[in-house]
Amino acid sequence: MKEFLLNIDRRIIFIFVALGVIIPALTSFNLPINPTPNVQSIYDTIEEVGAKNGTILISFDYGPGSFPEVQPMALAVLRHCFKRNVKVVGMCLWPQAVGLAQQALDTASKELDAEYGSDYVFLGFKTGFHSLVINMGHDFHGTFPQDSPGNNTTELPVTQNIKGLADFDYVLCLAAGNTPDGIWIPYGQERYKFKFGLGCTAVMAPDQFPYLQSGQMNGMMGGLAGAAEYETLVQASGTATEGMRPQSVVHLIIIAFIILGNVMYFLYGRQKGGAQ
Amino acid sequence: MLFLRRTLPLIIAFVMGMIGILVFYIPHSGAQALEQELTKWDRIVAAFAMVLGIYSLMRLHWGRVRRQQAGWAYSFLVFVGFTVMFVLAIYNDGQGPLSPQVIDSGPFVWMFDNVQVPADATMFSILAFFIASAAYRTFRARTPEAAILLVSAIIVMIGRVPIGALISDWVPWLSQWLMAVPNLAAKRGILLGVSLGAVATALRIIFGIERSYLGGGEE
Amino acid sequence: MSRDQIFFIVFLFIFATINIYLFGSGSLSADWSGLGTFIAAGITLSLYSFLYKDNPLFKFAENLYVGVAAAYTITQVWYNVLWVDVVDPLSELGSDESLGNLWLIVPTLLGFFMLTQLSSAKFSWLSRIAFAFVVGLGAGLAIPRTIAANLLAQIQPTMGPITADLAGFNLFIILVGVVTVLVYFFYSVEHTGPVGVASKIGIWFLMISFGASFGYTIMARLSLLIGRVGFLLEDWLVLPLPLF
Repeated sequence: MKEFLLNIDRRIIFIFVALGVIIPALTSFNLPINPTPNVQSIYDTIEEVGAKNGTILISFDYGPGSFPEVQPMALAVLRHCFKRNVKVVGMCLWPQAVGLAQQALDTASKELDAEYGSDYVFLGFKTGFHSLVINMGHDFHGTFPQDSPGNNTTELPVTQNIKGLADFDYVLCLAAGNTPDGIWIPYGQERYKFKFGLGCTAVMAPDQFPYLQSGQMNGMMGGLAGAAEYETLVQASGTATEGMRPQSVVHLIIIAFIILGNVMYFLYGRQKGGAQ
Repeated sequence: MLFLRRTLPLIIAFVMGMIGILVFYIPHSGAQALEQELTKWDRIVAAFAMVLGIYSLMRLHWGRVRRQQAGWAYSFLVFVGFTVMFVLAIYNDGQGPLSPQVIDSGPFVWMFDNVQVPADATMFSILAFFIASAAYRTFRARTPEAAILLVSAIIVMIGRVPIGALISDWVPWLSQWLMAVPNLAAKRGILLGVSLGAVATALRIIFGIERSYLGGGEE
Repeated sequence: MSRDQIFFIVFLFIFATINIYLFGSGSLSADWSGLGTFIAAGITLSLYSFLYKDNPLFKFAENLYVGVAAAYTITQVWYNVLWVDVVDPLSELGSDESLGNLWLIVPTLLGFFMLTQLSSAKFSWLSRIAFAFVVGLGAGLAIPRTIAANLLAQIQPTMGPITADLAGFNLFIILVGVVTVLVYFFYSVEHTGPVGVASKIGIWFLMISFGASFGYTIMARLSLLIGRVGFLLEDWLVLPLPLF
């Protein structure tokens, strides 16, 4: 038994993790989701933008590898924008994001009867990361003469009055890589001083706190928990809220394994290590 | 030839680097126009760079197929996936490659939704199992430092999910405090260090001390 | 027959049976949408078979994905950049009003130079010119912005006035943390005496932050797993969740 607990086969842990996800997904129990101030401030900013009928730029900078984490944020934010008549311009710094952004825009716009061109516009993908952001800062129409379906951006109601990045009331980056701290803040926000918010994977979230305190970023949704908080704020339970049940249970399972590992280590492992 | 192969690239890097720095500090419209122009060029060259990246990936797999190396059939599969997707992209739902891409319906979108999205998302999710197993195996409080790391991880893992608030309101508060104060301090320290390093590296590139971007081979 | 082969056949048999039932009962529609869900579920389960051990099913799905993703990327570059910003404007150069697009020839030429990197040694040096342009310009653009956004803008909020409340205490901790972490990374001085104490405190801060990052990483990977399990249960097996 002692040997077994000291060296549990990894497949046993796999089974615990799998059951920890499947069983809570099948069962129904409610957990309270309390929005953190970082998520609340994105919500509040979009409310403000809505009050003045403003325009927001959403940069979709993630791929299918982070789809379950970031897509719920995209959906929740888009639903919020369309409900409050916030005009949305979507774009992608990552090529793989195009299909995901299109999916999210389609879903949210159909649900809330948002109309292409007057409520939202999708610009698609462009190469160049930092150079693209610099170009957009100076000359929006020159950088994106056409949207993704091929319309002139100077003629679409949503984009015709946007001359540069500073004309957006809010820029929200949905990211799974270094585009917020590596591109949007140094090459965009630093010079054009637009309000900047972020929705990102949980892996990235701890690295973003310095930018929150410095005010370069006014809010952040981190991982599935952040998405669930936003869903709670817009009162539209989605995959993130549902995901909090299995997420909570598996966290407890992993913590139990960590504690078990440490108890076994302190009881037997150290002597064993010393004897060797 | 040495001038063309070595000196000229170094001169170009120096001139472009200096322009890149100076236009930031010159608010004159001429400087801004120059910055705008050069970054436009950069965006277009970046598109070719992506083509180069994909081409070199495909060349690698083609080499395996041609030499019939162990597992070459899998490399062949890469070509199957690539060809099917590429042909569907050119077909563009009947519009052809010289008109805007159809991205809301059609077989290309179907392939993205039903092959690329599930494969990519699943690939990364497999790590959930391995990270759980690694946490059990390696997360031991062998030293006081390791104990701090472990306790911090556990607080964050409980505090960031709803179950934390069920235990006590202090758990999410503590987790948020750990993130927004000590974690922030450490991350900022690292950020300052890394940024200084990045500036130093950029200067080394501009002054031709750092030349690895020229690649190896004949100087 | 080896144990692995038996597993493989049993897996395929179960997968086939479930799908026959799903299509037969109408849970999955017999059209492109149903077929898509079937394929996506097949790919998902093939990749998860890696948890048992590396196997041909996993490699099949993995390599097919690599090809599809490569083609997806290259087509985005074509439709969104090369076609709209390069080929289309250049093809109109004949007309007088499009002379403004002449500048495009330079970056296009640089782009082709870049592609020579994989050609014979006779031409591959041309790629150095393109790389020098991209890397040099990138370095130049980065310097002032890194200094402004990641150094100055980060130092300033670290130095705020320390007040006698929680916010002031937090600010003090942040200041101590930033300074001690920098001391820890400063290898030019021997870490003994007061410097040693500071670097030790720096390590504690780093450990808290690595712990936080580790906790968040576990969280992220699990979220992805939850997403995939949700797909299998809801979209493929069409279970009305929650069941209980």
